[in-house]
Amino acid sequence: MRASGHFSSFQAREPGAGRYTAPVSNIYFELTEAFNARQRVVALASGQAVVYYRVAIMSKDGDWMIRETPEACATVLEELDRRGAHYRAGAPLDVRWLSGGWSSHFEFSDDRQRRVRCDFLSRPPRTSQSAVRRIFAGDKAPSGMNVVDLDTLIAMKQTQRAKDYPVIGVLATQLPPEREIEVTTDPDRIIALAGTFGHSAGRPVARLAATGADRHAVVLALAEEIDGLQQADRQRMAAYEAAARPYMEGCRAAGIHAIPLREAHDRMLAIAERLLPRALFPGSCNADAQ
Amino acid sequence: MQMLSEDDLNLRELSDEELDLAWDLWFDLAQATNEWDPPYSHGVFVNLGSPPETARPTPTPSAPGSSAEQVTSPSGVRT
Repeated sequence: MRASGHFSSFQAREPGAGRYTAPVSNIYFELTEAFNARQRVVALASGQAVVYYRVAIMSKDGDWMIRETPEACATVLEELDRRGAHYRAGAPLDVRWLSGGWSSHFEFSDDRQRRVRCDFLSRPPRTSQSAVRRIFAGDKAPSGMNVVDLDTLIAMKQTQRAKDYPVIGVLATQLPPEREIEVTTDPDRIIALAGTFGHSAGRPVARLAATGADRHAVVLALAEEIDGLQQADRQRMAAYEAAARPYMEGCRAAGIHAIPLREAHDRMLAIAERLLPRALFPGSCNADAQ
Repeated sequence: MQMLSEDDLNLRELSDEELDLAWDLWFDLAQATNEWDPPYSHGVFVNLGSPPETARPTPTPSAPGSSAEQVTSPSGVRT
């Protein structure tokens, strides 16, 4: 696991030059350190966290949990503005909407004209607020890169997308066995761990395996569990989609994507105050959205 | 049950520098599909269709060897 040294000393190869001339780093790792330079305000999440944990290179976008404070939002906006980013249609980066589970989206081109997309949320789905507080424990700038922990990352990956579930299975192998059995998507690992940890597990499929059920039954139970997670994710997204439509139309009509970041932010706040409900599920854990 | 390929699992054996290089190469290549990417991959807008400013073009088949088929990195390297 990486703990430091996120900027490679290797150099990018120029065509035909036969030598390395430009520094190479993961722009999303670099951004994480830039956002957190003065204070721990973001934690790398989702696909780039999967890269960090060395499970797969599978995402071309960057996703962060952002600390739910006005100062954190200002810090991120300042860094994005410095890099020439513009808003994509989405919620304004403001705690009033972040706290309702909304997400904010930005885009810019790096110095090699590659598209860099940056997504932020403060309420990761299926994650308790105490877990979120632990990720941001301490106000000082982190000595290593701030990345969501494995349990949070796995919870964020329990989406409607089929491709996330094999990744969960591999991420789970990095957990202690009593935690692995609670989240793994690998039926063979559930069966292997069930004898020791299955009876006390909180997960029905693990308890089923502990009773000595055959592999076919475990596979079916696991498939039903995953389908349930996917359907729940779809339902939650549908609620956000419906609530966002008038606001998104307002943003498109205003041409938000073509407006300088600071001006776009102010205009999006004005549109959001008219058209975007701050919370869809007040007082519910469903306010934690992805 | 192995859930990812050997190439993926071997990421754990890479040094930080090698991981950066591998990701950088992959990111270069992945730029070729930007126009076909969904507008949102994360966040609460993933179910929304393409906004007008990012409407996806219809992919068109290209003849072998045509420029449309080749992937060209920003530095001009065809892959």
